[in-house]
Amino acid sequence: MNIIDVESVSKKYNLATQSEAKSLRNGLSDFFKSTPKKEFYAVNDVSFSLQKGDKLGIIGNNGAGKSTLLKILSRITKPTEGKIHVRGKVASLLEVGTGFHPELTGRENIYLNGAILGMSKAEITSQFDQIVDFAGNQISQFLDTPVKRYSSGMYVRLGFAISAHLNPEILIVDEVLAVGDADFQKKSLGKMKEVAANDRTILFVSHNLTAVANLCNKTLHLEKGRVKQFGETGEVINNYMANMQKNVNEQRFANFAEAPGNEIVRLKSCTLIPQLFENQAFMDVRNAINLSIEFWNTVDNQNLNISLHVYASTGECIFNISTPVGNFNKGVVQATTEIPANFMNDGSYIISFMIVKDKSIVLHNFEEIFNFEIADYRIDTTWYGKWPGYVRPNFDFPISQTSNTI
Amino acid sequence: MNKLVSKFKEISDDYELLLILAKRDIAVRYKQTILGVAWAVIRPMATMLVFLFAFKNVANIKDFSGYPIQLVIFSGILFWNFFANGFQSISQSILVNGNLISKVYFPRLIICISSLAVTLVDFFVGLLVYMLLLIGLQQPLTETILFIPLALLITTIFSLGLGLIFASYAIKYRDILQAIPLIVQYGFFVTPIVYTSNEFIGKSWYPVYSLLNPLASFVEFFRFCLIPNYSLFSLNSLLVAGVTSIIIFIIGLLVFDVREDSFVDHL
Repeated sequence: MNIIDVESVSKKYNLATQSEAKSLRNGLSDFFKSTPKKEFYAVNDVSFSLQKGDKLGIIGNNGAGKSTLLKILSRITKPTEGKIHVRGKVASLLEVGTGFHPELTGRENIYLNGAILGMSKAEITSQFDQIVDFAGNQISQFLDTPVKRYSSGMYVRLGFAISAHLNPEILIVDEVLAVGDADFQKKSLGKMKEVAANDRTILFVSHNLTAVANLCNKTLHLEKGRVKQFGETGEVINNYMANMQKNVNEQRFANFAEAPGNEIVRLKSCTLIPQLFENQAFMDVRNAINLSIEFWNTVDNQNLNISLHVYASTGECIFNISTPVGNFNKGVVQATTEIPANFMNDGSYIISFMIVKDKSIVLHNFEEIFNFEIADYRIDTTWYGKWPGYVRPNFDFPISQTSNTI
Repeated sequence: MNKLVSKFKEISDDYELLLILAKRDIAVRYKQTILGVAWAVIRPMATMLVFLFAFKNVANIKDFSGYPIQLVIFSGILFWNFFANGFQSISQSILVNGNLISKVYFPRLIICISSLAVTLVDFFVGLLVYMLLLIGLQQPLTETILFIPLALLITTIFSLGLGLIFASYAIKYRDILQAIPLIVQYGFFVTPIVYTSNEFIGKSWYPVYSLLNPLASFVEFFRFCLIPNYSLFSLNSLLVAGVTSIIIFIIGLLVFDVREDSFVDHL
């Protein structure tokens, strides 16, 4: 028997009503006028079923309906259409520390939060020491301090520690791995694996594909509220990544007049092509990347160079490289480079470049020309948290024993 | 009817959560105040003193139908605060706890019921003050005080029913939140809180009034419990008011049941 059955579930919002609470006046005027409402399906005709012990990863872009689906499954909101059957006790970690009251102490909040998440008082009492232990040393010193005095890290650690000791048949987890330091993430993942090993069913929403790939046997890929693919994790993630990377790696402009740029320079083409291995569907940290830029120059005898910036999705510039300055006449100018393998870390990146005259005058800034994603790749690892940093060089770092005495 | 039964069952299954939420509200109520729980004493006392001043010095009223004016006013205010604060916190409970409601599932009624805890504590603190007042005025405490739990119960049924209706609609129509203070403010004056129903008991519209405003019968019942030999209480009108509140309560539950599924969409 399936532990979860989702049958063509949809969740519809009326854009007019869901944005803000209505005032009575608007409500009345709607009632009389019956204005046509804009409808929006956050989740659209989603069906799947899970067996006991399945670990489901739910992936998709922002706004794909992942969180709405979790809310429906955890009974927080009802689907507009369709049916769900959930056979077993559900606990959801939609946000760590839900229901913490800032004025209450850590100890009081453990009981409060535990009760809100569905633990009985006896259960909490029997696990109290383990929870505090899991949360770390710092917390045990401040157990009787109001949590408003906690650092945000402590707050999250305590929240997760409580959640980690829930004992439901079905655990719903939304992005907990994004929080805490590396050490704590490691602990959290360990706990999730432990829960997973117990034949518990887990629903896990994450942007961390590495974690999904390693923790989940099944994956649901949502796109604009609809099921794009549901199946074995490896297959779904492969298609997802391949899909995501294809779309923006090349731009070509056949017509000078319509190309981006200005009267002096216009972009003719730019390509970003990873050097994939055989049978590899999408690029990861192991691949070198070829970049090529072609532009039209309309003025003779110009000293030009290209300055290229690579940004992280959060906006920081990771590096800036520049071509040598060359003297060019009217026509097409091309520049190519290679970002070496094992250099960029996994993540989303944005490339912008500018064409510079006489080393200092910016002729045109081509912003956000490439928007690409580098996947993670690890073998033989027990650690699935986000690899820190923007670069991930593979420098030689030998280690050896030099003596057998202390 | 089955629906109502299953609702009660859901709540009784989760009574631990109900208790801990109630405890939370009580624990947090007077945090970071210097006077702390003394506020539960100061507020009704201050209200009473203002009316005493107005009645004694301005309107030149010395007593109500022979009952000490202090007792009439203070018992009225005790009752009114219990009803009005309870009604207000129930009406706002879903919105105030929006962050919880939108993240975790539990029977939503629990949050409404637990929000009554603070009001109940305040009432008992006020009741202690009332007893001191009795001693000060050299009045006896009669055994009718044993009816207080019953009086609290029927008032709670009424404020819960009314509160649930308001809470159900306040999520979508925030105008309701603006109207609640007005209702509480005007209700205070159209209900015999700082006077007794003796003032209009013989009026032709009185039967209609007491039907429409069950609070008038409740407050006299409270006074019957608290003031020695109080005679303005009538069992008949209490029964009528009791039936009204049970009807309101059932309507409140039904409305709440229909609307609770969409709370999250409007928060």
